[in-house]
Amino acid sequence: MKTLAVVVTTPPYSPLTVTALSYVETALVAGINVIGVFFYQDGAMHANENISIASDEYQAIAHWQRLQQQYQLPLHICITAAEKRGIACDSIDNEQINQAFTVSGLGELVELTTKATRLVQF
Amino acid sequence: MISSDTQIEDNLSQQNGLAIINSKAPFSSDYGKDALDVALIFGSFEQKVSLFFQGDGVYQLIADQDATLVSIKDYLKTFSAFEFYDIEDIYVCQQSLVNRQLDEAFHINDVQVLASVEFGKALNSHQHVLRF
Repeated sequence: MKTLAVVVTTPPYSPLTVTALSYVETALVAGINVIGVFFYQDGAMHANENISIASDEYQAIAHWQRLQQQYQLPLHICITAAEKRGIACDSIDNEQINQAFTVSGLGELVELTTKATRLVQF
Repeated sequence: MISSDTQIEDNLSQQNGLAIINSKAPFSSDYGKDALDVALIFGSFEQKVSLFFQGDGVYQLIADQDATLVSIKDYLKTFSAFEFYDIEDIYVCQQSLVNRQLDEAFHINDVQVLASVEFGKALNSHQHVLRF
């Protein structure tokens, strides 16, 4: 079976993230097996609970959360990228981290890449 | 004939794993370091990874640079460890060097300078591509 993995490198306030979300949701609706999304570089900012985007703007984080719940879509953040952007990742019940996201390392990116038929970066 | 050619190309792309394109100058952003971290992780998991340098990314290979002059950790030094990670396929776009009037004087060995078409072909033989 063909599998898809996605890498997101853009922050939650970027219009490029909207494209990534539309792409992933379209794939999920089409029944494609999306094995995970890996948030690298500024993408790690998605897991920051303190980010607040004006309510009349696109709520990227809420949409990722929805896809995670609806499709059990794994959302991995890179711990190194997150920590240097002010998201402390030292404990599991950390209030700074959005619980929809799993704190992972770059090893998870290796895992996703080797398992995926196709890898798409945003 | 066509189907067997396609089969061969499929097998080739399966063999070649991940290509990482470096397209940014080394000391004005984190991109180069972030790409390096990905390359080394793939190397340490014994996954095949090739490096491509294109556009301003070619500056990452130029010899005799000193990042410490601009108070930046010199991650380019780590490039010399590629052989220990079995990262052997390193390609640089000739046209990008020419456009910037740069000599083929690199700070690591075994860099392959490729014309645009060959550079594209080498890239195309990989199953996955990440760009930084």
